[in-house]
Amino acid sequence: MRNALTKTAALLPFLFFSIGVFAQCDAEGYSQKALKALQQGYTFVKSYKVDGKNGVRKNIEYTCVFSKDTNYMLRIEGKDGGAKGIVATLLDNQRQELTTNNLNGKSYPGWTYRCRSTGIYYILFSFKESESYCGAAVLGFKR
Amino acid sequence: MDATLTTRLVFIMKRLYLSFSLVLMLACGANTPESNTQQVVKNAPDAASQAALPQISDDLVANIMQSIPSPIETSFLIKGIGAPYNVSNLNDHNLVTNYNTNYSQALNLGVYSTDLGFANLYDKNQDVLNYLNAVKKLADNLGIGQYFDYKTIKELASSSGNVEQLLQLTQQNLEKIHNHLNEQKRESLTILILTGGWVEALYLTTLVNQKANNKELRDRIGEQKIALEQILTILDVYKTKPNFATLIADLKELNKIYSKVQIKTTVGKPTQKVVNGEIITEDNTVSTIIIDDADVQAITSMVKSIRNKIIKS
Repeated sequence: MRNALTKTAALLPFLFFSIGVFAQCDAEGYSQKALKALQQGYTFVKSYKVDGKNGVRKNIEYTCVFSKDTNYMLRIEGKDGGAKGIVATLLDNQRQELTTNNLNGKSYPGWTYRCRSTGIYYILFSFKESESYCGAAVLGFKR
Repeated sequence: MDATLTTRLVFIMKRLYLSFSLVLMLACGANTPESNTQQVVKNAPDAASQAALPQISDDLVANIMQSIPSPIETSFLIKGIGAPYNVSNLNDHNLVTNYNTNYSQALNLGVYSTDLGFANLYDKNQDVLNYLNAVKKLADNLGIGQYFDYKTIKELASSSGNVEQLLQLTQQNLEKIHNHLNEQKRESLTILILTGGWVEALYLTTLVNQKANNKELRDRIGEQKIALEQILTILDVYKTKPNFATLIADLKELNKIYSKVQIKTTVGKPTQKVVNGEIITEDNTVSTIIIDDADVQAITSMVKSIRNKIIKS
């Protein structure tokens, strides 16, 4: 019996590790890809991890401060390929939708927002028909 | 115990463990959607530790910290109005050896990071190398030097014309440092780095504005009201840590001046169009910064005082 328990205990870390591997999302790799998609003239400012934990996490929200008279560009890359399965919605401080990369049912690689009002904004990531629930986005700015 | 019984026991224990692990993972994950959007108070800390523990969740702290604007946006604005580069406006890179505590090292890592970005933007290679060395030294002292790709940045800075790559790599490296500090539960250092960087950027803006008296710069000075409130929210979480009380008190004084600054907003509906496969949205909400000369002067003077304390700490 003791032998059996020892063997089981030895197996536990491997079992836990195996489960952990399935849950992992290499957001940094997708962030690098998204960075390459940022148009010339835009300077990288932040990256956002979009890890839906295999569908357990439905929404991932980040707060940001945008400055007026500045253009912001968001680029998304995910495990499903490009922005597929990931919806990035920009909300104002009243949580009113300003823009999204999912327009009229079509998915776009991101969006450009010409900001004229300094303040707090929210970038809300959600998933639509996603298979991987995994990706990243980068934000660039241009004055 | 026979072999069959042993095998069955092992099988049952494996299944129990798997089920337990899955339940544990799902339970942890299930909290996360809300944790980014709500102020979650940490679960029932005991009475003795309650005073020392942050009262807002780690996720919220990370989210607010992440939202603090990057100083590089301000550096672009300063260059954009045609302000000349002046290295004497930046912190002397030779002072790096004076910073001997984690507190002063983290704050000045922020200061030097802003200076590095500024020198990068103006393509001043020798200054880039000097500030790069200062940043590297402080990052090493704080045990986070491995997240700063010193070698590549140095190579890029050794020749002209790599401004975009330099800016991008520097920004990415700083982000890595913040992420790793947060993962290591050393968020108090992250907020010090962000505060140092923010103070330096505001200081440079006020300095240039004194000569240029430019509306865009004045607006940018006024807009910092938002970032200051965020910084104070996070610093307050760590108010019991050494030296934080003084920094918080100084920034609260600055916040008093900022209470006179108003950001007025006229709401309009955004317009959206698709151009060459790109969604472009025009914001039709317009904000106006209301800040008078006396407030600009008071902010300029207070920021200079805070910045001097930081670089002499």
